[in-house]
Amino acid sequence: MRRRQFLKGALYGTGSMIALGGCGSLTKVDQKTLAANQIAEKTVYSTCEMCTSRCTMAAKVRDGKVIKIEGNPNDSSTAGTVCARGSAGVSLLYDPQRIKKPMIRTGERGTGKFKEVSWDEAYTFIADKVTQIQQNYGPEAIAFASRINPQDAFFRQIAKAIGSPNTFSHEATCPMTKTTALEMTFGNPWIAADYGNAKYIITSGRNFFEGIHVSMVKGVMKAVQNGAKLVVLDPRFSVTAAKGEWVPIKGATDLAFFMAMANIMIKENLYDKDFIENYTEGFDKWVEAVKDKTPEWAEKETGIPKEKIIEITRDFAAKRPNALVEFGWRTPWTPNDYQCRRAILIINLMMGNWEVPGGYYQKKGAGVLQPFPDQAGYAKPTGGGYGPMPPAPKPSKGRIDGAGVKGTPGILIPVADGAVGQIPESILTEKPYAIKGWLVHRFNPVISMTESERIIESFKKLDLLVTCDVYMTDTAYYSDVVLPECTYLERYEPIIDQSGLIPKIQLRQPVVPLVYPDTKPAWLIYKELGQKMGIGDFFSFKDMEEFLERQLKPSGIAFDQMKEKGFWSPADMKPFYMRGKDPKAPAAPSLNEKGKMHIFSHEIEEAIPGQGIPVYTKYPQPGEGEFRFVQGKVAVHTNAGTHNVPVLNELMPTNSLWINSVSATKLGIKDGDNIVITAGKYEHKGVAKVTEAIRPDTVFCYHGFGRISPGLKRAYGKGINDNKLIPNAIGESGNVVTSMTFVKIRKV
Amino acid sequence: MAKQYAMIVQVAKCIGCQACTVACKFQNEVPDGQYRTKTPAIGPKGTYPNLSLFFEKEACQMCKNAPCVKVCPTRASYKNEDGVVLVDVDKCVGCKYCMTACPYDARFTNAKTGAVDKCSFCYEIRVGNGQKPACVSTCVGGALEFGNINDSNSDAAKLLAKYKAQVRKPEFGTIPNVYYIYEGVK
Ligand code: SF4
Ligand code: SF4
Ligand code: SF4
Repeated sequence: MRRRQFLKGALYGTGSMIALGGCGSLTKVDQKTLAANQIAEKTVYSTCEMCTSRCTMAAKVRDGKVIKIEGNPNDSSTAGTVCARGSAGVSLLYDPQRIKKPMIRTGERGTGKFKEVSWDEAYTFIADKVTQIQQNYGPEAIAFASRINPQDAFFRQIAKAIGSPNTFSHEATCPMTKTTALEMTFGNPWIAADYGNAKYIITSGRNFFEGIHVSMVKGVMKAVQNGAKLVVLDPRFSVTAAKGEWVPIKGATDLAFFMAMANIMIKENLYDKDFIENYTEGFDKWVEAVKDKTPEWAEKETGIPKEKIIEITRDFAAKRPNALVEFGWRTPWTPNDYQCRRAILIINLMMGNWEVPGGYYQKKGAGVLQPFPDQAGYAKPTGGGYGPMPPAPKPSKGRIDGAGVKGTPGILIPVADGAVGQIPESILTEKPYAIKGWLVHRFNPVISMTESERIIESFKKLDLLVTCDVYMTDTAYYSDVVLPECTYLERYEPIIDQSGLIPKIQLRQPVVPLVYPDTKPAWLIYKELGQKMGIGDFFSFKDMEEFLERQLKPSGIAFDQMKEKGFWSPADMKPFYMRGKDPKAPAAPSLNEKGKMHIFSHEIEEAIPGQGIPVYTKYPQPGEGEFRFVQGKVAVHTNAGTHNVPVLNELMPTNSLWINSVSATKLGIKDGDNIVITAGKYEHKGVAKVTEAIRPDTVFCYHGFGRISPGLKRAYGKGINDNKLIPNAIGESGNVVTSMTFVKIRKV
Repeated sequence: MAKQYAMIVQVAKCIGCQACTVACKFQNEVPDGQYRTKTPAIGPKGTYPNLSLFFEKEACQMCKNAPCVKVCPTRASYKNEDGVVLVDVDKCVGCKYCMTACPYDARFTNAKTGAVDKCSFCYEIRVGNGQKPACVSTCVGGALEFGNINDSNSDAAKLLAKYKAQVRKPEFGTIPNVYYIYEGVK
């Protein structure tokens, strides 16, 4: 009999089947007992951290234990839902594989030998090493890198207090090129799309339905259900592509597609001239730049028939201003990807879709609303939580990546993020100067940054490597000191601003006491470390309750109210579009000095002459026997963060390499075959997934697998670590470069 | 009129995210490696670049004419007053007759209780408290609806009135209460 095939189906593209079995105790828990238990439950509202989207959530707690995580039913943006990862937070919280005690390395790096120590010993060890490095090389020789998060402010406070300019987020590995484009075009990156009211959405690779952000999924799905057209440019047939029209574009040519769109729209008069005139500057230079970028030309570049490009452009423009091109999420595909993102923003400006339903808008935080008399009442600003602070020492040297320096290419690198790929380079080459210490907070360079082996090589030259995380990550495994953080379900964090068309602030709060008593929240770890380092006065708050009270004070919202509801948003406010009623209304309060959006960017032109307007770069395409290697997200995992979380690991323990069936046949590769992938000097073993769902010149895998830390017992050694194969190059806006690697495949 | 609870799956809105799968596990304390529901991919079908792909949530189909109930020697499998097929864990002797009889392979032996287990529509644990089932409440794509289809004002009944719906393996005469709407599926 076909036993239970029904419930053993494969997830899309994972090739993994769910095994049955596993044994547990034979306690009988029937539905009636469960129902009775539910009455004794309490609900604690907080903010999810299973990815970086920060959805509101509700934890169901019974007898001091979290039994389930749901969405917050009062939040209309998520309709009270959380995704699979959000639900699975419970199994992270109680995972016996979490790290539970501070550890100091006792063996060679990479041998995994550690001893458990007290927090005081760990702090003392770090403080002594930091002092040594400061004395020998200066404070700038210590770099700080973290996954962006409200609480990494405390981590960065250490850098500030010792005078190191070298603070970095993970963003260079993910959205940085679009951040640069937004800053250069609008003057700030706090811009979002009103998907739900759009009538035509074009996405260039952004995979809404696998790289899940719940409220955005809801928005795009609403638009599609209301009849909006969804066009998906992607070399791979993603779930998003399955819900729209798939246009399998040749890799690294997206900019050609958008330039041709502009060419057609200008030629056929399909854009909003009034908007361009009133709100933008430099359009004439764009007209010049795209004048020879015809659909015929773009067909040769992108592989998309010119008729298709013309059809999409006309249909899209006919829906203006409710037509939008998505500017992307994980975007660093090419060295100058920011130019593609800039072109996307310019197409949007040509649609005049700024601050109207179904277009783009400035996120409506308190500061944005205040200048509008009829909206100012809804603005509830929050303040700082630190309290009085001594003046921070001024760093004596510039950043290693030159980020933010006007008139130089560094101006393209968002200074709050930095080009994190420069850290291993500066360690190894000592240019512009040596980095000797690296503090890492909730970030995993070995898997999240490109060229894993080079990263590990760089670790070996460090005098100090510290990792603070919830698991023995691949980076923790090579560290001198490992600090066990508690999870997001056990700690407070600073107020989180999640404003969209209406303001919204959220709280992350402990829903249960510490599960492992010797873990600590980040705020406490860095406050105590600061005290040990003699910079305690940079943390002049008693605890997070005090910190949050201070933050909330200017808003007039009571801390208790936040604790009770988990978030605040003005209940009676309607979504506010600055041009909703009057298409000529001033709509650029926080933009550049002239109040105009930069189609031509003087800042870029000054830094890199000739690049003030997007210029097309013709990148090489894979030759015979080669494939462009692209990667992406899956709905049940986040970046490199969740692959060892029990329930999520169970759903998808490994990945495979997608290869088109025609290409596979040429290589004699069948579905499920063991293969070796080579890229230059690097090799990786894997399993082939032979499919129709990818271009013949491209291969793909889901990101975050192939883990090398034996401390991640479930994820260890399973699947392909994409970043092992990708060289550590630093793109023009400080980005890593994810999609310019060509690989060869052979069967083993 | 008596109630008839039913689940409606709007296939076009399902993104295969498995939020339902995971929510169900925690809600019903389903043991490691076991599932009352999953949402596998159907496809991709076709040849590059003309492909289709959709997802279909799978679970007990809550048959009106339930073969599992008929074969159960201890009456552990039964249909309640609201048209929901349930398993009484105390009566289940683990003979697995029902597992063989189910045309949808929806049943399994729960590794914790030793009894046969399957989707319960979250009947006692949520529906009885006025909530929708866990999977429906957390559906990210908004593909799932649930309600009493004998009440024409329920959201579930409205969907059935508006769209053409299908049931699984109608030829078995089981008369399922899980309906699939394919409107908008590419
Ligand atoms: S998208 Fe999912 S994992 Fe991310 S914050 Fe929302 S519920 Fe949590
Ligand atoms: S109705 Fe309840 S038991 Fe059935 S699949 Fe949904 S969550 Fe699981
Ligand atoms: S939660 Fe909804 S959208 Fe996600 S897989 Fe389940 S039914 Fe589909």
